Amino acid sequence: MKEFITVIAALVAAPVLGGLLAGIDRKLTARLQGRVGPPVLQPFYDVVKLLHKEPLAVNRVQVSYVFLHLAFMLIVIVLLVTGRDLLMVLFAHAFSTIALILAGMSVRSPYSRIGSQRKIMQMLAYEPILVLLVVGVYLSTVNFLAATVVTTPRPLLLTMPLVFLAFLMAVAIKLEKSPFDVASSHHAHQELVKGITIEIAGPYLALVEITRFCEQAALFAVIAMFWAQNLFVGALLAIAAFVALILVDNCFARLTTFWMVRYMWTVPMLMALSNIIWLYA
Amino acid sequence: MNTTLSVPLLLVACPLVFGTCVYFAKTATVRNALVACAAVATMAAGVIAAISGPLVVPGNGALALAALAAEAAAIITVIVVAIRIRSWSIGALGALQLALSGIGCMIERGQGFHAEAPAFVLDSLSTILVLVVSLVGPVIVLYAIGYMNKHHEHAHPGEGSDRRFFLLMVGFLGVMNGLVLANSLRWLGAFWEATTLCSFFLIGHTGTAEAKANAKRALLLNSVGGVALAGAAVGAARAGADSLSGIMAVKALAPMALLCVAAFTKSAQMPFQSWLLGAMVAPTPVSALLHSATMVKAGSYLVLRLAPAFSGQKLMFLVAIAGAFTFAVASTLAVGQSNAKKVLAYSTISNLGLIVACAGINTPLAYAAALMILSFHAVSKGLLFICIGTIEQFIRSRDIEDMGSIMFQLPVTTVIALTGMLSMLLPPFGMLLSKWMAIEAAIASPLILVLVIAGSALTVLFWAKWIGRIQTVSYHPAYRREQLPPTMLVTEIVLAAAVVILGVAAIPLYHRFIEPLALSAYAGVEVPEASLALLRAVKSSMVWPVFLFIGLAAAAIVIALMRFNEKHVRLPFLCGENCGELREGGTLSYSFRGMKDARDTAWSATLYFRSIIHEGAITRWCSLLALLILIAMFGEIGVI
Repeated sequence: MKEFITVIAALVAAPVLGGLLAGIDRKLTARLQGRVGPPVLQPFYDVVKLLHKEPLAVNRVQVSYVFLHLAFMLIVIVLLVTGRDLLMVLFAHAFSTIALILAGMSVRSPYSRIGSQRKIMQMLAYEPILVLLVVGVYLSTVNFLAATVVTTPRPLLLTMPLVFLAFLMAVAIKLEKSPFDVASSHHAHQELVKGITIEIAGPYLALVEITRFCEQAALFAVIAMFWAQNLFVGALLAIAAFVALILVDNCFARLTTFWMVRYMWTVPMLMALSNIIWLYA
Repeated sequence: MNTTLSVPLLLVACPLVFGTCVYFAKTATVRNALVACAAVATMAAGVIAAISGPLVVPGNGALALAALAAEAAAIITVIVVAIRIRSWSIGALGALQLALSGIGCMIERGQGFHAEAPAFVLDSLSTILVLVVSLVGPVIVLYAIGYMNKHHEHAHPGEGSDRRFFLLMVGFLGVMNGLVLANSLRWLGAFWEATTLCSFFLIGHTGTAEAKANAKRALLLNSVGGVALAGAAVGAARAGADSLSGIMAVKALAPMALLCVAAFTKSAQMPFQSWLLGAMVAPTPVSALLHSATMVKAGSYLVLRLAPAFSGQKLMFLVAIAGAFTFAVASTLAVGQSNAKKVLAYSTISNLGLIVACAGINTPLAYAAALMILSFHAVSKGLLFICIGTIEQFIRSRDIEDMGSIMFQLPVTTVIALTGMLSMLLPPFGMLLSKWMAIEAAIASPLILVLVIAGSALTVLFWAKWIGRIQTVSYHPAYRREQLPPTMLVTEIVLAAAVVILGVAAIPLYHRFIEPLALSAYAGVEVPEASLALLRAVKSSMVWPVFLFIGLAAAAIVIALMRFNEKHVRLPFLCGENCGELREGGTLSYSFRGMKDARDTAWSATLYFRSIIHEGAITRWCSLLALLILIAMFGEIGVI
């Protein structure tokens, strides 16, 4: 029963928290660029407005995958808060992204297809880091369960600082932050217009937005897990990471897809691997 | 416990007898009816064998003599074939194998063996294999009836006759059943050679120069495996064993290493992978049979059968490295291919690599993962091959880039193919579950782990690219079901249903069959506590939220699609230069106004990384590396 209440609470809290983070992100970015910026609740207004629009689409396939995109992200949230196997969480998360990629690929639109292909490259770039994170958790706690991360005496940040840094870069890719924002851009005048979500409209776009909120909440929850022994410290860690990512986003221009893969498979990968090898020793 | 010969006889003879009847059938109608009977009878035999439970047929003098005769006959057939196709290398390998078998017999005679070890054993492991062979195999044979009918429209003049084709297809199932039942090394050798011969004739079936060359290569590489098998028998005889159970009892390392080499050739592990890639020149049902139910599964079965006895040996670590290496390299090569059958072939090689890697990791968890991959892969890959066969016959191309509009032309086959592809990467289908277990099992060794992780990431990449291509579709108000021969359509639907049911039932099946089997295989072997803890944790992996949310999503999709109509359809964004709401044959126009108002169609190809993934160079260097790993295996046991 307690587990059931936790699950329900998490399913409500995740999109709300994620939406707030998105709002603060937009506000902070605007201030950094010398603009006033939208209200903090703007992402919620957007979603509500989108939900009331006509359900337009290019074909039926696209519609199906949007629902799967959201469903698998909710699975991620449930598995995470009930403290289940982290590798399974990772797989559910990967399929959620794949569903979005397939939605983008199912239409005859060059922008959408290019966005999708770049999203695949993004996955190829960050997915190994996430697996190495899970491996690191196993080596630190002798368990794959998210639940043991909380009960283990030593904070993860102290056993795997390099994996933490590599994971932050993976989060930057996941949240489409510069210099990694290759699959989808916030500005419609760029070479791929809006990229992967260009052909998704109305309520379906609202679902994609809600999924994005959930994902954002889940990612920062994982960052907080690096100091799960004291959730106050964990939250501070997440906030620091959040601000740092916004700063980096505003300091960099976007770079090319292949640069991203090359970079991720060398610098963060080597960092994470050396940390893992150290844990094995 | 059953000790009579009836069940093995039923499993082996039933397809062989029916196959012979098919061969002598006069008309096509009678032949097709007989093929259908053979398929049903083989399925029935498999089910009877599974229900009748464990079985041990003790060896005796007569059986040993029969085995010797069968093995000699099979090897002599290989030599005759070698003479006919004028291949000195195959002939030499055949002669060497015959000589080794003879030496093995002499040693056995000299040590006074009396064939005490069981000749045939049907335990839980062989039951799984028997079920795979005799349930998936016949479905593919049934599919072949419709396929071959259409195939004749554009057949090569030198093509072999249909009656020979079906004799080989049906007979293949019989000898494969024999192979997984055999415990005595003589019987194993006989059936091993028989599968090699079947695949040789089937690959060369179309009679083109390319088919003949590829069949020859398959025979050559599998003859290397045959020699290794005969060598293993000699080594085993010197160590005082004449059966698989004997080798496991005396823990003879040299025969084990040789059996691994034999298994690598049959399972197309690097550096022996090229024959399986060449096998795609055969008619698609042959590929489907080779890749899913028969042939390649023989190698992984053999490693799995022997592995538990060699727990903790360095040799098994090298086997795991070899498998994981094949897994990673084959997935990389699959990413760079646009030929559909080649992608499927590399995917098979990589999955077999993962099975071998799991067998090499050699813990109950890895063993369970290997068994899951073996069974789920057989069904999914069989399904994918027959779908690609249908698509290829329809669009006359194997290129993935040409499959951009099949969703409208072949809606049923495409949806079924998509089901098969998604079953390779969608949670909670069995393939993903087993990959999850494989990664958790690989955690004991960083090197294997990195290879398995890289392979898994690349696997997702090539499936996602392919799915994205074939599901692309313009909006159509209505779809028309394609006209296919009933055997093709029905077999596609049957296998798709099997994939879905097995996917949903993966966890219960794991509890009921796989976990007890994995634990019993390692009974009496010391296993690290951490790996047992992981095995137990699989049970507590919560699947209800997965099913709940997929169910909710499915319901939402149905509602959304029911409410979806033509009013909601918009053209994709093409910089506002779309050619209006032009309709061509009921569908929307996807062209746009380009330079000088010329009409153009937007098109974006899929990424194949041709500048990074050079198939030839990667194959060359990685085969060399794989060869070094093989040599290291022999160095480790002190042979070299």
